[in-house]
Amino acid sequence: MPRSPGLSYVSVTDADLVSRVRRGDLEAYAELMARYRPRLGRYAFCLLGNREDAEEVLQDTFIRAHRALARGDEPERVGAWLFRILVNRCRSRRARREPFDRTPAGTAALEQASVEHPWERESWRDEIRHALQQLPADQREAFLLKHVEELSYEEIAEMTGAGTSALKMRVKRACERLRGLLREVYRV
Amino acid sequence: MSEPEGPDDPMLRAAIRELRRPVDLGPGVDARVLAELRREGAARRAWHWLTRPRTVRVSPLRAAGLAAAVAAVSVLVVTAVRQVTAPRAEPLAVGAAPPGEVAFVLAAPAADRVSLVGDFNDWNPDAAPLTRRANGVWETALPLPPGRYRYTFIVDGTRWVRDPTEPPALDDFGTPTSVITVARR
Repeated sequence: MPRSPGLSYVSVTDADLVSRVRRGDLEAYAELMARYRPRLGRYAFCLLGNREDAEEVLQDTFIRAHRALARGDEPERVGAWLFRILVNRCRSRRARREPFDRTPAGTAALEQASVEHPWERESWRDEIRHALQQLPADQREAFLLKHVEELSYEEIAEMTGAGTSALKMRVKRACERLRGLLREVYRV
Repeated sequence: MSEPEGPDDPMLRAAIRELRRPVDLGPGVDARVLAELRREGAARRAWHWLTRPRTVRVSPLRAAGLAAAVAAVSVLVVTAVRQVTAPRAEPLAVGAAPPGEVAFVLAAPAADRVSLVGDFNDWNPDAAPLTRRANGVWETALPLPPGRYRYTFIVDGTRWVRDPTEPPALDDFGTPTSVITVARR
């Protein structure tokens, strides 16, 4: 399977950490979490749309991963394996939660924004996140995994169970919809 | 199908660049995880301490007395268990599970291998392989604590197949998964 640059930095060092974790070394696990937390947190936050849910899912992912390592599981690529757990925990969490609630602050900032260089404004990030939450969940998931996490379609298919053709279609539609939403917001 | 044209759009490219910035949810997550793992570790160590084999030295007279007491208790327990459980002469049917376990069954005569992934095994395709029976039915049984689990079968390593005997998961990700609720026993 082709490996994306996004997950290829998992190295021997990761394997060493895993080996220490399996011998009960929590310091090694702390190091592993620190290594992957920013990236896993980014995905959870972008997909779920709020920090509280993202933190809870990330915490759950790390606890489950540690239990699996303690049981004797030996993931070949720790990063990809953690991501697989996270993606599915996000799915389970998403099924139980209300959709993203847009904050009034983001709306106000947008109304005061200039048209010429919208991407330079602080509200830009809020607007992107808001637009992202307007996508159907399957499109948002595929878009994030492909364009933000830079995974290959084969990796995403293995992680999500969707076929590569369906994934490509989801990403295409997500891009079209996002582009439309952002242009509408900024009247480009 | 060609790659999506989205990233060619400057605004979309800028959006993707923005989304790629790491979102650090803070070390609080790590601290809470480590606290939970320390609690679990302490409980595990306590259990191991209680259940580890020990060498006990007793006099021959005391050993005989102890053996007699253990034998008496065993007879009582076996008698009581026989009174409350019905004998089971026939082998388990397809889909039946030993007490305390949940059976998962899939008819897939053409499959070379089938595994079960779900919330209960962190979607690890190596964790729960199914066993093939003579009629092309695959099955396994897992001890699951009470709860609600989303799961699916993976056929031949790549194809996700929903369990047709359980309700589909009501999520909106468009992949075939089912939901099972394990009640308290």
